[in-house]
Amino acid sequence: MSIETLKACGIIILLAPLLGAILAGALGRAALRGATHFVVIGGVGTAAVFAFVLFGEVLGAHGEGVSETIPIYNWLTAGGGKWFEVEFLIDPLTAVMLVTVTFISTLVVIYSRDYMRHGDHPESGYERFFAYLGLFVFSMCALVLGGNFLLLYLGWEAVGLCSYLLIGFYYPKPEAAAAAKKAFLVNRVGDFGFGLGIFLIYITFGTLNYGAVFDAIEQGLADGTLETGRLTAIALLLLCGACGKSAQLPLHVWLPDAMEGPSPVSALIHAATMVTAGIYMVARCGAIFTASTTAMTVVAIIGAATAFFAATVALTQTDMKRILAYSTISQLGYMFLGLGVFAAGSAVFHLFTHAFFKALLFLGAGSVMHAMGGIIDVRQFGGLRKLLPWTFLTFMIGALALAGFPFTSGFFSKDEIIHHAFSAHWLFGAVGLVTAVMTAFYTFRMVFLAFFGEERVPEGVHAHESGPWMLFPLIVLSVGALGVGYLGFPGHNFHHFLEPVFEKTFLAHGAHAGHAVQDAVHGGSEVAKHAASFWSKYGLLFISGALSILAIMAAWGVYGRQPWIADMVRASAPKAYNLLHNKYYVDEFYDRTIVRPLRTLGRICVGLDNYLVDGLIFVITWIPRGLGYALSLLQRGPVQGYGLTMALGLVLIIWFVLAG
Amino acid sequence: MESWILTIVVFSPLVGAVLLMLMPNGGGLRRLAFGWSLVTLALAIYAVSSFLQAGPDENTYVLTAHVPWITGGDSSLGLVDIGYRVGVDAIGMWLIVLTAFLTPLAIWASFTAIREREREYYILLLFLQVGMLGVFCALDLLLFYVFFEFTLVPLFFLIGIWGGPEKRYAAFKFFIFTLAGSVLTFAGVVYLAYYAWSSGATTGGALTLSIEELTKLGQQGVFPYGVQWWIFLAFMAGFAVKVPLFPVHTWLPLAHTEAPTAGSVILAGVLLKLGTYGFCRLSIPILPEAAVGFAPFVAVLAIIGIIYAALAAWMQEDVKKLVAYSSVSHLGFCMLGLFSMKIAGVSGAVMYMINHGLSTGALFLVIGCIYERYHTRSIKKIGGLARQMPWMAFFLVFFTLSSIGLPGLNGFVGEFLVLLGTAISNTAGIEGDVGPLGYIYVIPAATGIILGAVYMLWMCRCVLFGPLNEPANTPDTSRGLTKDLTMREIGFLAPIALVCIFLGAYPKPLLESLEPAIARNILQLPEDRIAAILELDNEAEVVLIAEATDAVPPSEVRIVPAAALVPTDDFLTTPIDKINIASPETAKGGVADER
Repeated sequence: MSIETLKACGIIILLAPLLGAILAGALGRAALRGATHFVVIGGVGTAAVFAFVLFGEVLGAHGEGVSETIPIYNWLTAGGGKWFEVEFLIDPLTAVMLVTVTFISTLVVIYSRDYMRHGDHPESGYERFFAYLGLFVFSMCALVLGGNFLLLYLGWEAVGLCSYLLIGFYYPKPEAAAAAKKAFLVNRVGDFGFGLGIFLIYITFGTLNYGAVFDAIEQGLADGTLETGRLTAIALLLLCGACGKSAQLPLHVWLPDAMEGPSPVSALIHAATMVTAGIYMVARCGAIFTASTTAMTVVAIIGAATAFFAATVALTQTDMKRILAYSTISQLGYMFLGLGVFAAGSAVFHLFTHAFFKALLFLGAGSVMHAMGGIIDVRQFGGLRKLLPWTFLTFMIGALALAGFPFTSGFFSKDEIIHHAFSAHWLFGAVGLVTAVMTAFYTFRMVFLAFFGEERVPEGVHAHESGPWMLFPLIVLSVGALGVGYLGFPGHNFHHFLEPVFEKTFLAHGAHAGHAVQDAVHGGSEVAKHAASFWSKYGLLFISGALSILAIMAAWGVYGRQPWIADMVRASAPKAYNLLHNKYYVDEFYDRTIVRPLRTLGRICVGLDNYLVDGLIFVITWIPRGLGYALSLLQRGPVQGYGLTMALGLVLIIWFVLAG
Repeated sequence: MESWILTIVVFSPLVGAVLLMLMPNGGGLRRLAFGWSLVTLALAIYAVSSFLQAGPDENTYVLTAHVPWITGGDSSLGLVDIGYRVGVDAIGMWLIVLTAFLTPLAIWASFTAIREREREYYILLLFLQVGMLGVFCALDLLLFYVFFEFTLVPLFFLIGIWGGPEKRYAAFKFFIFTLAGSVLTFAGVVYLAYYAWSSGATTGGALTLSIEELTKLGQQGVFPYGVQWWIFLAFMAGFAVKVPLFPVHTWLPLAHTEAPTAGSVILAGVLLKLGTYGFCRLSIPILPEAAVGFAPFVAVLAIIGIIYAALAAWMQEDVKKLVAYSSVSHLGFCMLGLFSMKIAGVSGAVMYMINHGLSTGALFLVIGCIYERYHTRSIKKIGGLARQMPWMAFFLVFFTLSSIGLPGLNGFVGEFLVLLGTAISNTAGIEGDVGPLGYIYVIPAATGIILGAVYMLWMCRCVLFGPLNEPANTPDTSRGLTKDLTMREIGFLAPIALVCIFLGAYPKPLLESLEPAIARNILQLPEDRIAAILELDNEAEVVLIAEATDAVPPSEVRIVPAAALVPTDDFLTTPIDKINIASPETAKGGVADER
């Protein structure tokens, strides 16, 4: 493996989508118009090709401890002769993320070619859309490639910007404009903590370079000079950012609203790639997180709580994209749970499989939406399986994978996380299993409502299957949703590949913390492998597979056969139903406790500014004026007055002279 | 060696003003003003090239010139040494370039907006430019003060004549506030010069106002703390109003709202920086102990300003007033960086001055474009303009992003370095002693980053997004305006946007040149240390020098890789002034003695 090749790949992966975006933005409206997608497909496709080349390089060098930091140029000064560099860190984790991001992006950009037009006419803003997508791929690759915390922050904010621009793509719609702003601001709240964490890292280690920081931690822990309290503080601050970006409790509120953006955006940014940045960051900073038991416990609790919470909300939603959004939040919760129980390999594996099946589901939902003339509420249509056969078939595959149906990709990756969760604490495992059941149930509730039963379409809608530009990505992704699970099971190739990254952090600490079992699944040490019995290895697979099938059957029983059961349940517990349907009133809670008090404070500030501060200043300006007035009294003109003053003055002088 | 290029740059607008007086009425006036400001820009760029050749890394100030002005040997005061002294370091140089860059754009932006008394308008703008350019290269306190005060007069008339409905009140308030403050500053100048002379430490026992010499005296400890304290307070009275620092900021929103677009651009872009520049050039180097003593106080005011003004901005209906309040908030960051007393923080502050000038100046230009078409700036009356004005929307969003510190654009550079400098302020390093601020100040200041996004995105959403909302009979497309931006308007916005991208992606040329200037002229580090810093600049490996403290005797001071440095203290309560070196022998890269 040559550093030069890696450097060149990295630069091309970054610049190709950026160039596509710039061309689309600059020439789109004037020259390219309906053909704008070509430049962006070209740019993103090139990035994907080189991501595979880079992956191949890393794979080829496997076993030699691939972790290269490649400096590009000096960016910011840190004072005193130190510089923050623009640099790449390339290791297996980077390679996996790059391949996932660029591959899914390419498919989504291809899909958008048809999705963003009505008939043969590109929608207004067609060029803008593709420019933003290119910019997003650039930003996401920068986030993943960056070799220090500052570049991570750069990518972090830049993907947030793209998310903002794309959620607000249909800006004349007030909901879209509001959702965009909300997404950006909620993320900024998380980034506040994230930024403070970065400063604390700098104060502690004097550098922001990943390698240097992680080495310093290793050394500091080894000779006992580094306090874990400091590391806990850093980890928790960084976690704030992750909670914002990956929509974990309590900062999850922006993601459901983000569905105001076009469906390809939901698929790419709000399901497959950007929202996984938080998982990437925690996995990357394993050295910081795993050194602190507190931080790891918090990660696991947030993950488990979010997974469960979001799944319950998804049970009652009726908008297909919102169901999928809550399911995304829930699945991201799984990934955090995986990280928190030291199973970073499994978390990244779930990230990888989830990218395929969730992008597939969102694109499928987009295809439905396209066919239904923009309507996406499952109450308004049904029985679409004959009208949209390809969409149905691919959507079904995605749903099976999400539900964890045996031998789909989601089955393997989710099971691994639950397995590790059980070995950390039975409660985590139990939450994981219950959530898995709910996931299967709400997923198939949506499938049965939308595709089965009596054929119904909204009035005036001319339902039609989507064209080849949209079907091709759906088919590729469904092959992935079925197949990519086998990269991690049963040969553990995926985990072997990532092992060098997590060796010293998650794997070492995990084993230390009494998670010897996980080594067995990871194919770690030979001893552990023999120690683990067949049942502890595969027992959970059977249980979770069976539960998933049962939940699907239950969903079929209710929504496919006896819909009155759902009505009855809803009627029998209206309060619980409303609580879930209204997403636990979290938005309302934030509005009352944060937004409104802040606005009141703002009004107070304005009031202060207009009256108090200004008033004080004017009181001060009255002093010379008053003084002037007082003195002017002495000079009004009457001679008698002057005479009096002179006499008084004379008396004073004489008194001074005599007294002195 | 004397160099007159700075003098030529500073007084070049004056020549333009004279030419304007001689021109006949008509459209030629504005073209001449614009053309002449471009000439000044070209001269400023030429000055940069001479500046770079003059070896700014080795000297305190370069391109210096000195003409005796008020001198004499037989007066009762003894020798008097007040002169026309000019010269720049990197800080002054880049601010001169900023001024020379923004002025033509501001003039170009006035082409359609100003149709009354054009001659006087452009003459005043050029006068204003003379004052601003002069401040940034004055090396004599009297000259500094003359230029500093001179800027008041043209702006007073610009607001008072071409302003909005409340222009008289706004101009009056602006004038009173700034004048009241700077009178006290002048008292401070007089006391400073008198004390320096009476101490007998000046060269030849002369009464001198040379900034360089007074700085030297300040560093030698000629001024006792009590004296420094009073002079600092007096300086602060003038500079704080100009910055403006909470609570003396109330003149600014009003002045901005009432000023014509070009006035706002210059006011936000350059004039506010006169205040921060004053702190940076005079208060900190001449009064080092008082500056450290006052730093927590100034920082608290700055942080209050950051949060307070952000909240107030959020409540504004008038878009221009919103951006004006955002200036107060942003300048708070700038002050915080200055008083961190670290190269990173002060570099950040200087970058912040430049970046704020660019992005806020540009925001005022965009708002001017809206105002010319809709004759209102109220977010209640206009909305959803993005579809109608895509170019305007692009620029408004772009400069908003620059203003809220999106990494990759210029705003981030300043913001990050300011906060970094503040965070590391109380650690010792190659830059010397423990500074006055610390991580604890970063926490409240960083909320400003959230709030900045809150109000700016709120504005974008109201003005650009949502359903279209415009007053009757608008947009006004008379005077050659079109619905969306004209080529002229794109022409004056695009250059700023390009500079923003460049400074965001590759700020190294600026940061690199600022480092020695700040180390030498502001923080007054010893020469060997500056040499070490400059040498480190060329090294790729990250290294840190442990500073001699109580715990570490000077003989132990050495260069070690950052990885070997380990903190010991509880990070929130105790300043990290003791650096533990985890076994220097094991530290990679070898250990070298500093001295």
